[in-house]
Amino acid sequence: MPARRLSPLSVPYRVVQRGGSIVAALAFALATGGFSLPVVGLAGPLALVGLASLVAVVFVAYELAYYRRFSYELTPDTLDIESGVFARRNREIPLRRVQNVDISRNVLQRAVGLSAVAFETAGGTETEASLRFVSFDEAKRLQRELGRLKRGDAVGEESEEPTSETLFELDGRELAILGALSFDFRVPGVLFLFFSGSFTLVTSYFPDSMGPLVAVLGVAVLVVAAVLVSWVAGAVVAVVNYYGFRLVRSADELQYERGLLQRYDGSIPFDKVQTLTIEDNPLKRWTGYATLLVETAGYAPGQGESSSRGSEAAVPIASRERVERLVNDVEPVGTPDFRRPPKRTRRRYVARYSIVIGVVTAIAYSAEFFLVDGFPWYAPLALLPVAAVGAHYKWKHRGYWLGENHVVTRNGVFKRQVKVVPYYRIQTVIDTRTVFQRRLRLATVTVDTAGSLSLGGQDAAAVDIDAADADSLRDELEERLRIAVAAHRQGRVGIGVDDEPQVTELVDEGGRSRDDEREAPPENGDGTSEETPTDGEDGDTDDANENADDADPFVWGETRDESDGSDRGGDET
Amino acid sequence: MNRLDPRVQLIWVGSAAVSALVVGGILFAVVRVFSPPFVPAWTPYAVAGGLFVLGALLAVARYRAWGYEVRDDSLYLERGVFTQVRTVVPFVRIQHVDSSRGPLERVVGLASTVVYTAGSRGADVAVPGLAGDGADELRERLKRLAIRSEGDDAV
Repeated sequence: MPARRLSPLSVPYRVVQRGGSIVAALAFALATGGFSLPVVGLAGPLALVGLASLVAVVFVAYELAYYRRFSYELTPDTLDIESGVFARRNREIPLRRVQNVDISRNVLQRAVGLSAVAFETAGGTETEASLRFVSFDEAKRLQRELGRLKRGDAVGEESEEPTSETLFELDGRELAILGALSFDFRVPGVLFLFFSGSFTLVTSYFPDSMGPLVAVLGVAVLVVAAVLVSWVAGAVVAVVNYYGFRLVRSADELQYERGLLQRYDGSIPFDKVQTLTIEDNPLKRWTGYATLLVETAGYAPGQGESSSRGSEAAVPIASRERVERLVNDVEPVGTPDFRRPPKRTRRRYVARYSIVIGVVTAIAYSAEFFLVDGFPWYAPLALLPVAAVGAHYKWKHRGYWLGENHVVTRNGVFKRQVKVVPYYRIQTVIDTRTVFQRRLRLATVTVDTAGSLSLGGQDAAAVDIDAADADSLRDELEERLRIAVAAHRQGRVGIGVDDEPQVTELVDEGGRSRDDEREAPPENGDGTSEETPTDGEDGDTDDANENADDADPFVWGETRDESDGSDRGGDET
Repeated sequence: MNRLDPRVQLIWVGSAAVSALVVGGILFAVVRVFSPPFVPAWTPYAVAGGLFVLGALLAVARYRAWGYEVRDDSLYLERGVFTQVRTVVPFVRIQHVDSSRGPLERVVGLASTVVYTAGSRGADVAVPGLAGDGADELRERLKRLAIRSEGDDAV
């Protein structure tokens, strides 16, 4: 295949794009009086026009040179890119190392039929290579070809289109719910910064006698307004970002599309998926919805906003059953049977919350002492029962589970995350025990992966489990990784698609195939098993509902409590 | 379980001394310039001395808590005084191995080995206080083990 060039249309587009931003910056600077051009009299406008056209010529010349100097080629093993006007750069990227191929088109680009393509690899601090801009067809062709070449097909040989299957489509109702549940606090923040100067102005209109009342009312109005604005902003952002969201499975890739104004189109090879995260909050749990995040190592740390990073490949919202089914499509996890930390863990959380309440009370007390008399400083103490309840829930939502090919952890109440890590993706296993944890014979086992979201300190972790269990968990994880790697060498395995059943069995000691795993409802406590709905609705949630007395209806799978370690010598403290 | 070279305590005590000196120096300057009424003149010395003693005790405790082991398939580290940390680094996941010698380390003739993985905690795995050729030896050993385990597709 010969080397290819960017789309010729990219020249005028880039000129306009670059020129536009400079003109906008100039206009802004002039309008705000940041500086004034040193032009006076009749010659002024003329000089301005002359300068502008000179700049325009330079831009056009540069972009033309950029276009002429830029070429790329897809060889059987590499993507070769030659680029650079002043400094030349030849880059060869091994195809096997490409993690994601992302296509993005904004409104203008869609109008003229251009798109930007970004190739992400693991490591490095930025996108490994980007093509600005090629036609949309070419971009899609690249995405497809790359997937095909990675599977080892020959170049250019137009084999039949790989069968693609729509895994997920965000329908209007879900989009509406997503909008309704989204808050974007950035907008009120910016507004606050803008108008914070005018507060004193406004308050000066009110007579002093009304002071406190006005202040309280004003704060209340402001808070309500801020919440409303952030709600509307969040809804708009969510709809704009996730309009027309679709997840497609094509051969061994996951492809997504989304966006109302700017369309994003990306591909994630199954064998690059590092971690799957199911996220929800009390509201979503109550209404039966959840969010799914797919992590790869392709997005470099600190690149872009959190919203535009690895979470691009996320299902923003879907009913819990759909999310679980999707997870099982991507990674045949089965139904996790979470094991909670020992009950004594709750004491730790009670203590932790009580300390917070104590600090707040102390602050209130000193405020009463020094500033306002008669202020009920003991009011925060009323929260102590809440601390106990909070501790219980925190404990209840923690857990971990070792599956056949995956370790699954669950943490968090207000932002509950269920993380699914294939054993094959484990990088390191870290066991930490703080002084306080040691007192209760507890430990936290963190499973580090190369995922990009994990940088926020949200690695999959079995938090506050029994110390003895932590020791064995550490060894177990290491052993499972060893087995997974060995199995992987015999053929791709254990991660994603079910195209190598023989290897799945290799790891699967129970001898159950993946499909059995998915269709068979978990055994009930009394040994009966429920009828499985034939339309693919998972029976899991119902089951959990019936089975676990204190579990909420949307806890994934059943949860069994760990014995309280009384057999390990009681917990005297 | 391998221990570190005992001389590593010298390094840690040394760095404790350096930070105690810095804090003491700042305090000294503050006391000199502002001469606050309630603070006796010996405060900087006391603070620096206290910090140094604490740092020295911590250095010894840290040395006792440290241990590493090159197992069949992984590198295992144990460390931490207040928070005990145990890390398992499978050889398949090793990206590259460094050995480094800081200025303090060179004074006492020690070196460290740093193991990098593709994990989000990159260079979290460092074995300090290896005597002389120990660091190079460990590095070479880890390298050979990592190559032997063929971490083909580490990400």
